[in-house]
Amino acid sequence: VKRKKSVVTVRHAAGTSRLIEATPGRRKATRARSLDAPLATSADVPAPRAAREPVDLSIDLAPARPGALVLVNPILVASGTFGYGVEYADVVDIQALGAICCKGTTLKSRVGNPPPRVTETPAGMLNSIGLQNPGVDAVIDKYAALWARWQVPVLVNVAGESIEDYVTVVRRLDGVPGVAGVELNISCPNVGKGGLQFALDREAAGAVTAAVRRATDLPLLVKLSPAAVDVREIARAIEGAGADAISAINTLSGMALDRDRRRPLLGNTYGGLSGPALKPIGLRVVYETAQVVSIPIVAIGGVGSLDDVLDYLMAGASAVQVGTALFADPQLPERLIGELTAYCAARGLASHRELIGSALPSGGAPAARRAKDRPSSKGAEYRP
Amino acid sequence: MASSAPAPDATARMQLRDGELLATREILPGQWLQTYAAPWLSAGARAGQFVHVRTPDWSGLVLRRPFSFNTIDRIRGEVSIHFRVTGKGTEWLARMRPGERLEMLGPLGRPFEVDPRTRHVLLLAGGLGIAGVRALADEALETGRRVALLFGAATAAEVYPSSLLPDEVEYVVATDDGSLGHHGYVTDLVPGYEAWADQAFACGPHPMLAAVAKLAGGRDARMGVARLGRKGGGRVDPLGSTAARRKAWLQVSMEQNMGCAVGACLGCVVMGTDGPQRVCREGPVFAADEIAWDERS
Repeated sequence: VKRKKSVVTVRHAAGTSRLIEATPGRRKATRARSLDAPLATSADVPAPRAAREPVDLSIDLAPARPGALVLVNPILVASGTFGYGVEYADVVDIQALGAICCKGTTLKSRVGNPPPRVTETPAGMLNSIGLQNPGVDAVIDKYAALWARWQVPVLVNVAGESIEDYVTVVRRLDGVPGVAGVELNISCPNVGKGGLQFALDREAAGAVTAAVRRATDLPLLVKLSPAAVDVREIARAIEGAGADAISAINTLSGMALDRDRRRPLLGNTYGGLSGPALKPIGLRVVYETAQVVSIPIVAIGGVGSLDDVLDYLMAGASAVQVGTALFADPQLPERLIGELTAYCAARGLASHRELIGSALPSGGAPAARRAKDRPSSKGAEYRP
Repeated sequence: MASSAPAPDATARMQLRDGELLATREILPGQWLQTYAAPWLSAGARAGQFVHVRTPDWSGLVLRRPFSFNTIDRIRGEVSIHFRVTGKGTEWLARMRPGERLEMLGPLGRPFEVDPRTRHVLLLAGGLGIAGVRALADEALETGRRVALLFGAATAAEVYPSSLLPDEVEYVVATDDGSLGHHGYVTDLVPGYEAWADQAFACGPHPMLAAVAKLAGGRDARMGVARLGRKGGGRVDPLGSTAARRKAWLQVSMEQNMGCAVGACLGCVVMGTDGPQRVCREGPVFAADEIAWDERS
């Protein structure tokens, strides 16, 4: 007899976003909360497999700090696309998310770049917001108390133009209730080094990570740039400097023209490309990075469907961030959580963790005994 | 869903739901008027607000498309949008057929604020800008106000059909080539109405709005309006507050490339006198004095 197709429903019966205000701080969830809710079963149908063997989607993004950043599921929302978590609250069940990365935060307030700041491109979009934000103190004042009452962890994305900037911002965030961790955006100009991005320079990337590491015990993620000549070097430097996890990738620099005015379309000329166009690049970076580091990787870049999530997991990511796709479909992350649960259940996986790195040459073996693929820096087509 | 008390300025909460296309019609070359059954939207939406619609997955488009409410019919539970086909998104939208469904996020943004004492409402529209102020004509007439609409277009072929306006609206047209109505810009017509109008509401190309804002700036002096206030000088409402906008003679509906439309991405800003302002959240309606008109935005 053919078994009935598994059906898993993870949407809650009643509006859980009431928890936004009401839930007392419970930072460390041990299992997917969504699975506590009764699953859709009917009396005369045998309970689907998923109901008997719940899938565990939890993931520890800072294994070196036990319990500091254990997410209930591996679907996060990317910095800059979800504001401070409050903007989408009317239409998104934010408490169901794995974590929220808030808008990039700097030491002082920034007004950002002149408009227009966004434009759509084939299979993607360009943005040049220019890190508009009210500054770290205002962010803490305005949102930290609210975040502390949320069940979903909030990672504060930090940007700066000198190592001191990063360290000062992170010191202010250290110990603030509601701040679950820090994600460093190091695709910023290093003013002390002639404006070269930290993320393109192995020494600078290592130095800023190490300095921030000394300044805080918060879980620390560092975001790779896809523009690096060899991301493996940068990733090794970041891991060596004590980061808990790597997020990959940031946007890729691009531009668009206003043909009527015969000028660059964006007020800032250049913008960061994001969206589906970036997915193959993100996948390549995650695949290369996973072969040289042992810390978790959080994949970002063009996640828009379950297939994208699976690709990134198999390429070595422990979790993914949804970014640009939120603009078209704010409820996508919630749906991905359900779809990933159903996928694991249908294939008899106890956890999505069994998928992590399964497409690597080593098949996900421990870092020490890993087989390695050739690096992309040696060329994509030409093989010597 | 969030249990926080609504802010004093709050309008209806946004929702993410489907609307069913009831009627679609090309009212001008390349310009479409579409009516959707969406009682959940029409119940709370106000003139000046907008809706963010999703194109299908296969379109390859990653952003939604924002449209002002063109009309809001609370009784029939319908809203309409008016757009020009300018790219893939609007091309797809124009090909939709009655019965098909469109995913909408709305109502979004802040509406036009009409002072309760205002009797005479002046609407200014440049081209497709009519889509931004059209709903206010209905809203103002419903509340017993008189409405004049000054409309500007390049040529007679692009003039908004008067049959789509309520009979009570005084409709005055200007065309750049003089093929219909006044020969020149719509802004040329404003001085004739500035004494009559208690408040003015404009939507159109940036240069037109900047020109109207400049005219409005000198209105108080020309009209001899004294701002004496109440005893002790009166209360000054903070720039951008609903109270301040309600007192502004000119409100404008601004346009900008948009990302999330809920205030998260900071993509759709225009430069204001008080720093960058999000069109989707602080706008799309602004009091004219909130915008830094000399900066290109």
